[in-house]
Amino acid sequence: MHVTVISPERGVFDGAADAVVAPAFDGQVGILPGHAPFMTLLGKGVLTVQVGGGGSGSNRFEVAGGFLQVVGDAVRVVADQVQTL
Amino acid sequence: MAKPRELRRRIKSVQNTRKITKTMELVATSKLKRAQDRVVAARPYAAALAEVIGDLYSPELAERFPLLRQPKDGTAGSRRVALLLITSNRGLCGAFNANLIREARHRIDALEGEGATVALHIVGKKGIAFFKFAKRPIASQRTDIGDKPTAAHATELVGPLMAQFAAGSLDAVEVVFAQFRSAVSTPPTTLPVLPIAPPGAGEGERGRAGAVNYILKPSAEAILEQLLPLYVRNQVYRALVETAAAFLGAQRTAMKNATDNAGDIIELLQRTYNRARQAQITQEIAEIVGGAEALKG
Repeated sequence: MHVTVISPERGVFDGAADAVVAPAFDGQVGILPGHAPFMTLLGKGVLTVQVGGGGSGSNRFEVAGGFLQVVGDAVRVVADQVQTL
Repeated sequence: MAKPRELRRRIKSVQNTRKITKTMELVATSKLKRAQDRVVAARPYAAALAEVIGDLYSPELAERFPLLRQPKDGTAGSRRVALLLITSNRGLCGAFNANLIREARHRIDALEGEGATVALHIVGKKGIAFFKFAKRPIASQRTDIGDKPTAAHATELVGPLMAQFAAGSLDAVEVVFAQFRSAVSTPPTTLPVLPIAPPGAGEGERGRAGAVNYILKPSAEAILEQLLPLYVRNQVYRALVETAAAFLGAQRTAMKNATDNAGDIIELLQRTYNRARQAQITQEIAEIVGGAEALKG
């Protein structure tokens, strides 16, 4: 599935991934391929984008505010503040 | 005819000026490149926000959000408007700031002509200096935003205005900035920021039909409430970034013209100098020959 992480200043991540764990407003949400269309507000916390199964390569970001959107096979994380960990 | 020594001095002086303008041109060019990248990099976020807000927006919801509150027709006479003017801190950029200030003044005149009260908020030393000179009260000003505006700057700028708008003590917020179409086309533009014109509302059909049936958490309303301030901030952020890039573009153009001009002047002075020097030599020879002839005689 295709994941993009966007901050106001720039696109932070853009590529294929196996799973996304995001801090939603009311707790963590995990997104796997084939998720239903979904939109939620983000809280504050660590966003993990897993690339190449088994957690061998995962990208972690500190995010706050914004939203997460799943449409088709694409996940879009649009966050107000993003910091790469 | 001017003395050769005088001409030499002027040629030196213009050459020094050309060195400076040439350097500034190069500096502006390299900064422009990065500023341009920032403008481009900011686009996906703006597009994503606009798209989602367009999807979630419906006129029934609009009534509930202060940020979407449209002005009522009857109150047009006593509107309170905040105008945010973005200029640069530095000069040597041709008519860049003058154009922005002119646009702002036209807008102020138009609004005041309708009977509205205008509070002026200014970013950048050049705008502040002008309106201080014009003895116009400035509601707020700041000069600490340089070539690299951040989203945090935009938040600080527009946050208080949004609060006032939501509380009902402001009826509209507009931003005057330099739109960055390209390095040479940076028209001054007035952008109404508040009340929010729902993005994609003009396209109507496409927006509605294209909307996917989402699972929304917590609800469309709550999401919209969170995203609207982000959208406003982002518009101001983009205005800041575009103005920063436009400034560098204008500065590069101005410095290029100055460099070319200096080149022309040097060429002209050099010609005059050569002629003066030649004339002097000719005269000296004539005098020597004349003197020798006299001795012979």
